[in-house]
Amino acid sequence: MEIFFDIFQNLVDQFTNPKKRVFILYLFISILIAAGWLILHKKKSLKESIKFIFNPKVFFSKSATSDYKVFFINQVIMLLISPHLLTQITIATALYFFFFEISFLDMGLFATTPKYVIISLFTLTHFIVDDFSKYIVHRWMHRWPFLWALHKVHHSATNLTPMTVFRTHPLEGLVFTLRSAFAQGLTISTFVYFFAGGVDLYTVLGANLFVFLFNVFGSNLRHSHIGIRYWRWLEYILISPAQHHLHHSVAKEHYNKNYGAALAIWDWVFGSLHHSEDTETLTLGLGTNDDQKKHSLKELYLIPFVESFKFLKRNFKSIFLFKKIKKNKSEIYYEKFPQ
Amino acid sequence: MKKSNLKTKLLASITCLSFGFTGLANAGAHSEDVYGPFPVTLKGYSGDCTNTVSYSGQIARHVQHDSLKYLSTKGDYDEMNAYYSGSDKNKQIWAPASKEGFPIKQILLNDISSGKNLSGKTYKGTITAWPNNMTGPEVIDFWMSKAESNPKDVSVGLNYQQLISKFIMGAVFYNQAVDNYLDEKMEADTKPNDKPYKDGACYTGKEHSWDEAFGYWGAAAHSLLLSAEQNYNVAKKKDLASADFNSDGVVDLKSEYVFAHAYYASSFDKGGKTSYLEDITRAFLNGRKLITSANGEKLTDAKRSELMGYVSIISDNWEKVIAESVFKYAGSTYKSLVALEDVTNADLPKEFDKYMKYWGELKGFSMALQVGKDNIGETGTKLNRMVGFGPMLLDETQIVGIDVNGNYVMDKIYSMNDAKLHMLKIQKLMIDQFGIEARANDMLSDMADLASKIGTSESAEND
Ligand SMILES: [Zn+2]
Repeated sequence: MEIFFDIFQNLVDQFTNPKKRVFILYLFISILIAAGWLILHKKKSLKESIKFIFNPKVFFSKSATSDYKVFFINQVIMLLISPHLLTQITIATALYFFFFEISFLDMGLFATTPKYVIISLFTLTHFIVDDFSKYIVHRWMHRWPFLWALHKVHHSATNLTPMTVFRTHPLEGLVFTLRSAFAQGLTISTFVYFFAGGVDLYTVLGANLFVFLFNVFGSNLRHSHIGIRYWRWLEYILISPAQHHLHHSVAKEHYNKNYGAALAIWDWVFGSLHHSEDTETLTLGLGTNDDQKKHSLKELYLIPFVESFKFLKRNFKSIFLFKKIKKNKSEIYYEKFPQ
Repeated sequence: MKKSNLKTKLLASITCLSFGFTGLANAGAHSEDVYGPFPVTLKGYSGDCTNTVSYSGQIARHVQHDSLKYLSTKGDYDEMNAYYSGSDKNKQIWAPASKEGFPIKQILLNDISSGKNLSGKTYKGTITAWPNNMTGPEVIDFWMSKAESNPKDVSVGLNYQQLISKFIMGAVFYNQAVDNYLDEKMEADTKPNDKPYKDGACYTGKEHSWDEAFGYWGAAAHSLLLSAEQNYNVAKKKDLASADFNSDGVVDLKSEYVFAHAYYASSFDKGGKTSYLEDITRAFLNGRKLITSANGEKLTDAKRSELMGYVSIISDNWEKVIAESVFKYAGSTYKSLVALEDVTNADLPKEFDKYMKYWGELKGFSMALQVGKDNIGETGTKLNRMVGFGPMLLDETQIVGIDVNGNYVMDKIYSMNDAKLHMLKIQKLMIDQFGIEARANDMLSDMADLASKIGTSESAEND
């Protein structure tokens, strides 16, 4: 009984909590932005735009339907495992104690900094560290075959909808949770240790100001069929929806590009940036001959386990002896994303 | 935050719907919530006793403890010992004593109960938290003899009043209740419910064992009718109206006053995050009602296992109350260590005095935590190592042992910075091991607050 209640509550929370991506207001604003783009830039009529945005072929596609299933199943799985996961507070406390033991790190070293500076700095740092760690982990997801086996679940989507954000293998969810805990734990402990009492977060509706802005400016369109592009100069700084669509493209020239979540800077600095193109011509998915067969629950949950495990088993020695993994061995698991 | 609110609201409305009528029926039935009187259930009893509730021996010990605490700064070993080990004279109640606006009914110990002592009921096992493998009574005796010459010894940093008081609350009240009355005496064949507790008594074995445990807990018989704040003010002798349940104008220590850990529970509960006093006192009351309902028969297995459910509520929450106290004073000690870093010479004596007091409370409560029913094992070892045998002095030395003449051995074993870190780690240990919620003086709350503001790190999302 209790468990059903919790599941229901978690599902509702995804749409009613402004800290979450698919908070109902963000979805609504995304629709407005999409309509604005189609009317002003694509010169479509209002009616055409609405028809285009709510295209049932997208939202009831095999791909989208499996997104919904995964969304639901993952809520249940995360509810069961989340109490056993490392939290940001555990990591923050451990790091705080660690700083304490290093004698030259003076606690409260910058405690006299004006409060608004501390809060601004913390709000910005939290956003940047979080975003950077997302970039790094996403890059690993593509570079390490045993992680790619999991991340493939996300890339097997042949249609993108805002719910594709949840199309994630549970094991990958575990990696993401750890990432988030580490990123937050690091920022929190460092700030509280060096700035002492005054650390706080600027929030809008309870969400980090920058996270709020990211979401208000159409983060949900990253996974959608509306290929909004930014000015060329802006695409060096922020990832446009069209740039992310390209990350999902099956075309060879788009492999391993645009790993960034909100900021494009990381892609720019580490050489994985690709400017947007007219996304209406993009084919999305893994680019195998049977992409439409990749939407079954078996493909989404079971196969990734098997592939990831097989790879680890085969390359056990090389991985733990830090030897270079032979390309030809891993390639089969890379499918259309070879290195 | 948001989530749990939604849940609470929903659950509350469901509860209201289904139990609305029952709730109305019970309103106003206040005496139901008072511990006693309870009728005689003992088969074949023919005396004139009508109320079987009796725990005056426990109240006498509370008063001996309070009086000993009062005397422990006065430097007279024999006087202290008269309250600790008992005396054939009818001694005065030094505390709790009447004050303006709060008259107390009893003046002498024998007005409550005669022939009681604390020493005979002090935990007899080895106290690993103190040097030289002393037993509980030996530790108290050692402290009392030290307190005779120097109740607040600045040269080693010990405040004996705090050590004696906080340890006795654990080694006598907590230990006797959870390790004796609620443990052995609740076993099926010990102190059975179909026999008198002792020959001639009007109460059964189980009834009286349960009452004795309740007495050690320290709540007033009508504590459940009062808010945490009111219970707290009764213990502080500030609220006569709340204390004087029978409206006779005086406070009867035997049933109307709040002692020891019940008082500490109220101090945490009034913060609103916990309900230790209510939960424990209610479990005592429900357990007593259950025993009474057996009507002088042996408890059935079903009834006894229900009773043991109440015992767990009592033991677990009581342990938490002590862990909350350890947490709180680890926080105060930490703050004192920070304050002492750049204190002026003029303020030093005052600051150091506070530091000794806080550390003494921390030490006393941390020792109390280790004399419950279960051995807390590694947690105790860690706690003892981090608290130490004495607070760190400004030259970074601290007590490391006691020599053959009973003198303290001082040495430098870690730095001031480590001492501070230990206090933080003790707070974390209390949270991790006992799941405490009130968390007074939380030195790590900034991080927890930020973490909850940012939100959960759980995320199965591909940005
Ligand atoms: Zn990807």
